[in-house]
Amino acid sequence: MRNLLYNLQGKTAKPRDENVPSDDDEDEDEDGDLMDNGGNKLEDSHDEIEEDDDGRHVRMLEGITGMPSEAFEGKKKKNNVVISEAYPESEYNPTRDVLDGDGRISMEDLLGTLQKKPGFGKLRKIMDQMKKSEAIEAPLPTVIREKMERQAAYKISKKDMAKWEPQVKRNREAPTIYFDEDTDLGFSTVGAIASEFEPRTEFEKKMASLVYDDDVMEAHKKDGSRLLELNQVSVEDEKERHNRIAKMRSLLFRHEMKAKHIKKIKSKTYHRLLKKDRLKTAAALTEMDPEAAKEQAMKQEFKRAEERMTLKHKNTSKWATRILQRGLQVQDEEEEDEVPDSGILSLPFMERGLKKRKEAAEEEAKLALQEYEVSMKQLDDPSGAENSKIKASSGRRVFGAAKICAPESRDVIKTDNFYANSDSDDDMEAKENIFDVGKDGSSDMQKDVHVDSVLPNEFHQDSVFKSFDDIVRDPGPKTTYDVAIFASDKWRKMESRNKVDANSKKSPVAVEPEYNQDLQEPVKEVGENSDTESEGQMVDGIISLDPKPTYELPSQTELIRQAFAGDDVEEDFENDKQEILNEENPEPEKPVLLPGWGQWTRVQKKKGLPSWMLKEHENAKRKREEALKKRKDAHLKHVIISEKLDKKAEKLLTKTLPYPFTSKEVFEQSIRMPIGPEFNPATAVGALNRPAVVKKPGVIIKPIEFKEVNPHENKEDHKWSGQKQKMKKSKSDGSIPRKKMKKAEGKSKKVN
Amino acid sequence: MSVVKATKEEKEKKTEEEEISEDLDLKVKKYLRGGAANFDDLKDKKLKGQLSHREFLHGASAKAAAKYEKWLMPSEGGYLEADGPVEKTWRIKQEDIRREVDISSSRNQHDVILPEFSPYTLAFTSNGQYMAAAGRKGHLAIVDMKNMIPRREIQVGETVRDVVFLQDQSFFAAVQKKYTYIYGQEGIEAHCLKDQGAVLKLQFLKNHFLLASINKFGQLHYEDVSMGAMIGNIRTGLGRTDVMQVNPYNAVVGLGHSGGTVTMWKPTSSAPLVKMLCHHGPVSALAFHPNGHLMATAGKERKIKLWDLRKFEVLQTLPGHAKTLDFSQKGLLACGTGSFVQVLSDFSGTQNYSRYMNHSMVKGYKISNFLFRPYEDVLGIGHSMGWSSILIPGSGEPNFDSWVANPFETRKQRGEKEVHLLLDKLPPETIMLDPTKIGTVKTARKKEKSTKKEIEAEMEATIEAVKDGINMKKKTKGRSKPSKKLKKRQEIIAKAKRPFLEQQMQDGQLSIKKQKISEEVELPKSLQRFARKKAAT
Repeated sequence: MRNLLYNLQGKTAKPRDENVPSDDDEDEDEDGDLMDNGGNKLEDSHDEIEEDDDGRHVRMLEGITGMPSEAFEGKKKKNNVVISEAYPESEYNPTRDVLDGDGRISMEDLLGTLQKKPGFGKLRKIMDQMKKSEAIEAPLPTVIREKMERQAAYKISKKDMAKWEPQVKRNREAPTIYFDEDTDLGFSTVGAIASEFEPRTEFEKKMASLVYDDDVMEAHKKDGSRLLELNQVSVEDEKERHNRIAKMRSLLFRHEMKAKHIKKIKSKTYHRLLKKDRLKTAAALTEMDPEAAKEQAMKQEFKRAEERMTLKHKNTSKWATRILQRGLQVQDEEEEDEVPDSGILSLPFMERGLKKRKEAAEEEAKLALQEYEVSMKQLDDPSGAENSKIKASSGRRVFGAAKICAPESRDVIKTDNFYANSDSDDDMEAKENIFDVGKDGSSDMQKDVHVDSVLPNEFHQDSVFKSFDDIVRDPGPKTTYDVAIFASDKWRKMESRNKVDANSKKSPVAVEPEYNQDLQEPVKEVGENSDTESEGQMVDGIISLDPKPTYELPSQTELIRQAFAGDDVEEDFENDKQEILNEENPEPEKPVLLPGWGQWTRVQKKKGLPSWMLKEHENAKRKREEALKKRKDAHLKHVIISEKLDKKAEKLLTKTLPYPFTSKEVFEQSIRMPIGPEFNPATAVGALNRPAVVKKPGVIIKPIEFKEVNPHENKEDHKWSGQKQKMKKSKSDGSIPRKKMKKAEGKSKKVN
Repeated sequence: MSVVKATKEEKEKKTEEEEISEDLDLKVKKYLRGGAANFDDLKDKKLKGQLSHREFLHGASAKAAAKYEKWLMPSEGGYLEADGPVEKTWRIKQEDIRREVDISSSRNQHDVILPEFSPYTLAFTSNGQYMAAAGRKGHLAIVDMKNMIPRREIQVGETVRDVVFLQDQSFFAAVQKKYTYIYGQEGIEAHCLKDQGAVLKLQFLKNHFLLASINKFGQLHYEDVSMGAMIGNIRTGLGRTDVMQVNPYNAVVGLGHSGGTVTMWKPTSSAPLVKMLCHHGPVSALAFHPNGHLMATAGKERKIKLWDLRKFEVLQTLPGHAKTLDFSQKGLLACGTGSFVQVLSDFSGTQNYSRYMNHSMVKGYKISNFLFRPYEDVLGIGHSMGWSSILIPGSGEPNFDSWVANPFETRKQRGEKEVHLLLDKLPPETIMLDPTKIGTVKTARKKEKSTKKEIEAEMEATIEAVKDGINMKKKTKGRSKPSKKLKKRQEIIAKAKRPFLEQQMQDGQLSIKKQKISEEVELPKSLQRFARKKAAT
């Protein structure tokens, strides 16, 4: 209703509606223009004549109507403004005064004509209502209106949403959200579900009424035991049932056997006849029952369509069949043949080698096939064994026989080469080889080959003996050499000093009991050091140890050496440190001029090195010093702390700061506490490792419900609640904590 | 009056409570491991909230732990206390102690005389249940210390230099004349470690399952006994030594050398982590405090030094020889020379060690090595006539932790423990000077390559600086025309820009080259000359 009114209002008030007459207006103007263009001169010339005409016309009107001339004044004036009309005045062409104002068409004018029509009263009423609500503003454009609407809606919805904020905030800030508060998992047994069953349908209700009939229930209660008795089955009944079932089973079995037998029959004629039979019966059926036949046809058609859909009929084109038959295989072969574009195998000589090897393999395969065929033939022939020998000496057969012995001989030669090259001491295998050869040598055919192979063996043995001789002749230098490698510089120094001593002492030192070594000073230890190897050869185990240890006072010289042992130690250490520092932060090179440059004149020579060179050098020096200052051992004269990075241990460090953290200190502090059960009391472990969401499997998480939450809730409360939980837990497992705690302590010692 | 009394009592109670709370606070501090960082600088509110919650949980955990320690620890360690200023604890002899202690403890004072096979080297299992004694002349014995029964004795018929237990009593390793052997519980040889050479000293790192050994040539070997793999083979290059100890805190192996230096090693680096000059004479003995911060060294120049390993500085220098040193679980330091044992203590906790007990053995007994028995107030001494054991009150940890080591372990528990130990085995890389560094952020040694943005910003900054610095001289006619000035200005700016642009170009080329290289499969260098030369396209 409102809408309708609005529309009406709009229509009456909208300027658009006034456009219609304005169109006419324009037309008029155009007409006027035309008139102007056409009759400009006419106007000028007829001005006076018109005035005269007007005067006469007024007078005439006065005469006729008897009204004063003033009444016609306005008309006249208007006539002055409005120049002649092109068209006669009509309802399609209203006069200017009608358009301009006083003579406007009002609603009443329009309604006047409708007065006698039915429904006029209604229209009138609406009109009256419209008159009452007078000034109606033009509605805003839709864009702005909608925007306003949205704003209002937003305000309301914002208010609506804001009430959730504290609740959501609390949930967000909570370290753990629990969803297992009311864990009613519902029915867990069939009985529980059944007990809740309520009959709904007719049938169910009927059943329920019967089942829960009071009489029945009572009767059941009363003589339930008797009912049980009635359940008894007689022996005859049971026997009969058994027999029946047995018969059924045997029938089924027979039928099955028969079907199997028929399926096994391979006779084509039989099957053809069978098929014919089947068709006949089918045809008879179709004749008998056209409906069924139709159905059958439909079914078959459907089956056929289904079959067509399968892959079986997919690749039936000529090309596809060809590819299926051979194309794919061919492609595969090509792929096999392909040589990789890059890598070791792409090298030309590798390619060649591959080709060669492949050819060889093929040939071998061919030979193997031939051989196989031959052997098969021999097996087939009863007299093959005799023939083989004869055949061996002639033509093709020789090849096969020779082939058998050839690889063996090659093998032997190969091993010979190996041993000849190596000076290892496992010549036993080589010897065994010879024995093998000797055994095999009984066969006539392979003899010559073995004669060849024996010779290099002997040669090899000689070489081995030679090398043994070498070892026996001078074992000494070797051992001393080893010691020289392993001992440090200091040791070497002392060794060189006392070399003669050590050599002369050799045997006595070896026999000396070892636990005296601690009294001996480094020098003596060196002696022992060099002799440890020979000790093993000369004496063995307990025998070497003197059963009665005797304590010998160290000699004077040794005591003096002991006293002054640490004199140069400090200097050595400093040198060591310097070396290591230089290694890690090398000293910058001193700037030097190219010979010949800047040396032509004395002036240049006096100037010295260019300033930039000096600057660079200084910079490098400063950098090095800074680096040295940064070292942990910069202020510790007696300590060298290695600054080398351990690449293997790097994987135990984090590469970058993990996401929410922005400062290294905070992160490192946050990981300082272990959270495992070994390091924390049992009461705290649960809280430390609780997941963000605690929920039991199977529990449905319901959408959030509105709850009044105090937005300015104290955080202390939270904490307190957490503690309460913990207390509860501690009550539940009171016995364990002690142990765990101790573990925590122990581990902390170990790790921290 | 009564009211006054009551208030007094209340006051007393209060003070008691305060005392307890103070005590607890101290303990809580210990369990908090340094406390939280300052969160005030954090701008991320979410992270702040999370961290503060975490800290709260840690605080609760520490408090609970402190309470357990306070109330549930079964016993407190005792020690000798002098009655007055006249009496000195070091005057108290073993005989005096024997009179005071119970029978089971007095059984721990004994001498075992076995002169035929001595001197003896001793080793204890980590729970102190078993002792291995190795006579130099081939006698190996496993002794059940609780029942004082030798479990197994074998004679290997070779020199035996050292013996250690592996993870527990079921295996022990003995250094014999040529090789190191691992024996089972029954004394049956399980392994022969041939590739370590003639070893002088063995140590077992029980958290890593590594057997560390130093051989006659100064080579340090690390062998993983759970897999049988050689983990590290390091040439120390500092000569022969048999002074070796493992720092129980970080499993770093310390070696003492003849040059007076002590070096510390880990299996994954060939250079020593730390090399420090401790003495002017050769280092004769070395020991680490169980907390890992204290090291004691003895030099042949008659000095015993205590070092703070956090600062690598000397804490205390004591006069005297020591052929062997050992720290007890409670931090007592024993030094042994000749036939004389001296025990130092710092019961005040100031790390200022002073004389606590003395013990001299029968003349002629030369101490070869000694060890404190874990979880007992006992010092086992191996010497030239066998071995003996004496009581040192206050040396052992009174409260054992069955998760770490259980002195009353049953067979089943032992089995379980072995499995747990194997599961918790630490990889050898975790050995480092400061194990708390594990998991922290890697320190960037070199400054990473600056990003494109940074480079651009730098370039702009320099250009701005150059622009500001341009100061045109007034030159003779024609040379300070505006056009010339502009040209000059542009030239200066371009010059400042050039190095940056060049750098960019180079980087671009490098990246292109890299791409090209990475596209091809790289050949080994020896084969590269055979590769087909591709036409440059």
